[in-house]
Amino acid sequence: MAIPSHPAFLRNKLSQEMRLSLVVLALLALAPLVISSPYWLGVLIVSMYFAMLSTGWNLLAGYTGQFSLAPAAFAMLGGYTTGLLAWHWNVPLAIGLPMSFIVPGLIGLVLGRIVLRLSGPYLALTTLSFAEIVRLIIYNSIDFTRGDQGLNVPALMDSRIGNYYLFLVVLAAVTAGVFLLLRSRIGRFLQAIRDDEIGAASRGVDVVQAKTIAFLVSCSICGLAGGLYGTFAQLVSPELGLIAQTGIVIAMVVIGGMGTLVGPLIGAVLVYVASELLRDVGNIQMIVFAILVIVFARFFREGLWGLARQAMARRRDAAGAKGA
Amino acid sequence: MLALDLFVNGLIIGLFYALMAVGLTMIFGILKVVNFAHGEFYMVGAYTYTLVSLALGVSPWIALPVAAAGGAALGWLTERWLMRPLYTGYGSWSLMKDEYAVVVTFGLSLLLINLFDKVIGPYPMRGPALSDVTRMSIGPFMASGHKLITAGIAIVLLVGLALFIKRSLWGRQVQAVAQNRLGASIAGIDTGRASSIIFMVSGVLAALSGALLAPIINPSPDVGIFPAVKSYVIVVIGGMGSIPGSIIAALALGVLESFGAVYISYDYRDTFGLALLILVLLFRPQGLFGERAREV
Repeated sequence: MAIPSHPAFLRNKLSQEMRLSLVVLALLALAPLVISSPYWLGVLIVSMYFAMLSTGWNLLAGYTGQFSLAPAAFAMLGGYTTGLLAWHWNVPLAIGLPMSFIVPGLIGLVLGRIVLRLSGPYLALTTLSFAEIVRLIIYNSIDFTRGDQGLNVPALMDSRIGNYYLFLVVLAAVTAGVFLLLRSRIGRFLQAIRDDEIGAASRGVDVVQAKTIAFLVSCSICGLAGGLYGTFAQLVSPELGLIAQTGIVIAMVVIGGMGTLVGPLIGAVLVYVASELLRDVGNIQMIVFAILVIVFARFFREGLWGLARQAMARRRDAAGAKGA
Repeated sequence: MLALDLFVNGLIIGLFYALMAVGLTMIFGILKVVNFAHGEFYMVGAYTYTLVSLALGVSPWIALPVAAAGGAALGWLTERWLMRPLYTGYGSWSLMKDEYAVVVTFGLSLLLINLFDKVIGPYPMRGPALSDVTRMSIGPFMASGHKLITAGIAIVLLVGLALFIKRSLWGRQVQAVAQNRLGASIAGIDTGRASSIIFMVSGVLAALSGALLAPIINPSPDVGIFPAVKSYVIVVIGGMGSIPGSIIAALALGVLESFGAVYISYDYRDTFGLALLILVLLFRPQGLFGERAREV
């Protein structure tokens, strides 16, 4: 595939993906009419949590070409921000939840300022080290965070269905926010940096600033997702920040379609639902996804969404040939 | 003699960090990518050593070369199947090099962890020691026999590696490819073979590091994550691609952690590396011994 360069083409592609994202979100909104089991509603809630992380990570990795390996760590930081505020100082969720958006963002800003001046693999290396070490600090600071016992978090919604629509609304807002950001001037800068960092810099793009904005937004989204997840599970624990969780996020984005708006949504729902089904077959879900990640990265670089689009284009070509 | 004890113990830990970090930095030097499955090479080595000597009942001294062969095979397969597309054909791929390498090696790491978890089980196993002597002393310094023997092996491996890279024909070819892949290939060097050699050497060093530490770390499927994180910190501090830099940084980190665990905090000993990493990134981003990247 040639790299799309024409702005109008980019805009059309993006709008098309946004329309498709709206379809996916609408399907999710209608799902409770068919699915009444609280278990499967819970599965969909968790897959929406992962969809937020995937969208946040995809903004950075898929659209900016910057590989952070800490989305799960920032979700953990968001969860602990809300949790610690409520646990130690009885801060209500009305303040605690927005803080889960702000605090991880600020941490991301500081980390990004240090690392994003450098190009190459520094971001991946530093964020992976950061992720493991932050998890270790939370795990070991038993007096402050209760270690691996986890922290109890007050619930925001009493009912499962209430949580379901809360997650859906936030996911829709996150998707729309990323869409608007990508359509803006900054969004074009990000994609220019991904395609050719030196070229972008030579045309006057402030590369460090644009990358830092993407990192900040991505970390904030992950933090908010973690904060919400805490109020749903009513518990945050260092498990949220495991490297394996980041692995799941990467699997979702790569399988769904990296660098597309709708790919992470499709990937998150499919992968998480499939993992629940595979769990019954004997806990092989992570082996399957790891193989899929390698196969998709190696052979189908645009993910499921890319495959679907190619199939549609082929069908259109065939129909056109018949008409002519 | 607490200070001396801490210093020597730190150096010994640092030697094992060096075995890991050197492989990682060499792969970066030659392919300009980071292998995020490096910790799993270590894990596979630790398991091969433990399982071969426990299940087959052979001496650990025979299990050790088997673990090395396992690491070499894993490195060769990784290079052959997953890394080749980076530099043969696929013209446009060089653009997406970082992306592909991060995703695919991270996927490999997930695969190996979960495969071992499923096949062998999540519980730690105890690896056999190379020597039953529990106390041996060299001058005023005392340590277990296993620890001193493994430290000796680690030194031999590092010296051997240095000789291999500096003196042998293949080592010189590897240096040439690291400096300029295109130039080396024009001069008639098989760049694919050089990459294979580096992946195999890196796999051997990581697997042996895991195998030698097996009685101390008690292999479990996720045992490779932390040594890998340490090596990431070390290669950035030492300067990406610099072999002497990573050895010095590894020894320094080992000593720092050894002293910090006693004088600062034992629980947070693993965080000193991150603090050091952030300082280095702030004030000397090319690493302590790295050259500034020369770009065309």
